[in-house]
Amino acid sequence: MAETKETISFQVNGVERELEVSGSRNLLSVLRHELGLTGAKYGCGVGECGSCTVLLDGRAVRSCVVPVSTVAGRSVTTIEGLGSGDRLHPVQEAFLETQAFQCGYCTPGLIMSVVDLLQRKPDPTEPEIRDALAGNLCRCAPYPRIIRAAQLAAATMSSSGERHGDQ
Amino acid sequence: METSESGLTRREFLGLTGGLIVFFAIPSELARAAGESGGGDAPSFNAFLRIAPDSMVTVFTGKVEMGQGNKTALAQMVAEELTVPFSSVEMVMGDTDLVPWDGGTWGSTSVRFMGVELRAAAAEARDVLVEMAAEQWGAAPSALTVSEGRISLASDTRTSVALGELTEGKEIRRALKGEPKLRPVVEYRVVGTSVSRVDGRAIVTGEEQFVADVRIPGMLHGAVLHPPSFGARLKSVDTSRAERASGVIKVVRDEGFVAVVAERPELAREARQLIRADWEEKPHPAMESLWDDLRSTAELADTVTEEGTVGSVLEAAERQFSATYRTAFVAHAPVEPHVALASWQDGKVTVYSNTQTPFLQKDDVAEALGLESGQVRIVVPRVGGGFGGKTNPELAIAAARLARAVGGPVMVDQTREEELTWNYFKPAALIDIRCGVNGDREISAWDCDVHNCGDRGAEPPYGFANRRVRSFGCDSPLRQGAWRGLAGSAITFAIEVHMDEVASEMGEDPVEFRLKHLDNDPRLARTVRAVAEAYGWTPRRAPTGKGVGFACGIDVGSRVAEIVELDVDAKTGLVRISRVVVAQESGLVINPDGITNQIEGGIIMGLGPALREMVHYEKGRILTDRYSKYPIPTIRDAPKIETVLVPNPTLSPQGAGEPSIFPISAAVANAIFDATGKRLREMPFLPDRVLAATAV
Repeated sequence: MAETKETISFQVNGVERELEVSGSRNLLSVLRHELGLTGAKYGCGVGECGSCTVLLDGRAVRSCVVPVSTVAGRSVTTIEGLGSGDRLHPVQEAFLETQAFQCGYCTPGLIMSVVDLLQRKPDPTEPEIRDALAGNLCRCAPYPRIIRAAQLAAATMSSSGERHGDQ
Repeated sequence: METSESGLTRREFLGLTGGLIVFFAIPSELARAAGESGGGDAPSFNAFLRIAPDSMVTVFTGKVEMGQGNKTALAQMVAEELTVPFSSVEMVMGDTDLVPWDGGTWGSTSVRFMGVELRAAAAEARDVLVEMAAEQWGAAPSALTVSEGRISLASDTRTSVALGELTEGKEIRRALKGEPKLRPVVEYRVVGTSVSRVDGRAIVTGEEQFVADVRIPGMLHGAVLHPPSFGARLKSVDTSRAERASGVIKVVRDEGFVAVVAERPELAREARQLIRADWEEKPHPAMESLWDDLRSTAELADTVTEEGTVGSVLEAAERQFSATYRTAFVAHAPVEPHVALASWQDGKVTVYSNTQTPFLQKDDVAEALGLESGQVRIVVPRVGGGFGGKTNPELAIAAARLARAVGGPVMVDQTREEELTWNYFKPAALIDIRCGVNGDREISAWDCDVHNCGDRGAEPPYGFANRRVRSFGCDSPLRQGAWRGLAGSAITFAIEVHMDEVASEMGEDPVEFRLKHLDNDPRLARTVRAVAEAYGWTPRRAPTGKGVGFACGIDVGSRVAEIVELDVDAKTGLVRISRVVVAQESGLVINPDGITNQIEGGIIMGLGPALREMVHYEKGRILTDRYSKYPIPTIRDAPKIETVLVPNPTLSPQGAGEPSIFPISAAVANAIFDATGKRLREMPFLPDRVLAATAV
């Protein structure tokens, strides 16, 4: 029994990639094991913890439950694709500024969820932040800081006019 | 992190370096090491620091970073004593080939013990270098000053030398003896400041490598076959279909151990499902009979404390109170599951592992595989949340076996289901308390029996003249072990709800009632007053209907007090925590923001077992095997938290990773009582339990 592989092309962090993979493989597995992008983490495999969150055409998805065949021709942004060069994305800056992490395992997923939120709602209320991040579990639980990080990022991004998460 | 193996032994590693090296030991840990090794080859030190000729400082310790920020705090303590910039201190942690023996990262010991010895070693290093400079300049050591990483003549600061320069071309080794003179607290410039976490930038960019992120060329992935229920014995197995499955390299069978090695984790797991195994299962007690089972199997393990005459004073007391408290089995549920990656080279195995106890794991792997200890190296790049749950050697052993069987590197990475099923749990606890109150409205006798959970935190913080605390061991239906604070959060729940019950029955203010019994512990009394003041507490007799609860406790040398505000939905029984005010006194604070982060995280983690978390099981199987069935706190549950750090900088730093989780569940239960007038004595406070208690 061999896997049936197909050729799938999609953009990852702005770069066109073409892969020979089984289309039923989840996107997280392809990112981590074919493309060497280990920022998105495995936490549950069933879309319940959010540590695998990446952006698909700019919207947050749980990459552990996205079959790679469905991303053909689309654009994926991972934590590695945020910011540019040494310059961090404002959401990354805000997490650093507020020290909104402990072990850091779930942090990339949380950051991607905040990027998604701020694209949709540049000035979210606290309940909107909580709703947007309720699917990103963090056992170390510095949640009050994560709320502050999202608020800080919203403030910086609105003052600098920066709204694009994939810059 | 380098994934290629350096192949260096520690001795060779040291031989490569020059400079000044100060070795030091944590006496209690060395005693443990001696005990564990039978005393013969016990180490004489368990950490060291080196000052290189370029004045860069490297600290070698077996402690591991798992989110608590010890990598940052320990470096701060060293930078402070050496007066060097924080950025010139590098930490080498948790690699058994590069660092000396260490008992593991648990019990809030990193700063409290390792840090305290480490700063003494740094002070010793500073003094050695001052002596060297004094000799060089023909001056008395007392005529020299040290600042900004340089030693200077006090009378002529143009005569100065960088700390490291003095070691140029030399290798000086010193063992720390006695207690060197520490810099005065008032002169601190690094300790006591909120230095950003050294690993912060790598965390927010996703560059920080966890074990699951380590890649070795040609590495394969293993999945271990589990029995259908705990303790089942493998009778027969047919692996032929699994062997033919896509991407499978080998199915390894060694008596009861069966595992698939495949190209990727999911292929190994898919093939594992094709294994046909026949198991002999054991009978298991039902979850419903847990409390009866614990009681009927209880055997006295230890009399934790016995002071005065409890029995007769209780009998003679004006009023007597008694109650039983229960807490469920709880999982650690870190978002990073257990994972291990093993690779063999020249008869030696290197295992990348997310363990809290690398040196214990090294011995476990050696023993399981019939190796000498020197043939095993454990590398812990970092741990994605430990909480006491990552001390289990099973994955490291499995990875080492599989890597040997296939002749190449193998990673064994657990699924969420495996993580929530096959690890040990926080023990369920059954706690009986009886107490007597005398004519002065004070507790005159305290009698407490704790069952199944161990006895951490069982000694009440109050100065009861007559008291007895006993700990009973029981037959547990589940595998159980350490969990943040061990038994302390369960027993503090019992103690602090009981104190609240007595206060309320006696018509006393809950805070004043605690203070009345705290003449023995001025630090806790001060912490209780600090939280009351920060909250704006006014004397009251619960229940007030407002939903405000208080609790306090002592752990790992720290004092902590918490006030919770909450709402109870009378229709659904759902409890919503809106605000927590916490005061904690932990002696000298190394990093105010770091300790605040730990305090807040401990409180929110503690809300899980208080409100929702419990392990469900049936016939030796865990039913709560995914997050949707085992709902840990989410950001929606997070209350507003106001943290007060009670200053006490002349006291050595105390433990900070665990204390805040101790009182939180009692504070919640007491607030539910304040809101509803009903007592909840069993955790978690599930909506149906809240409704049942509040139903008239």
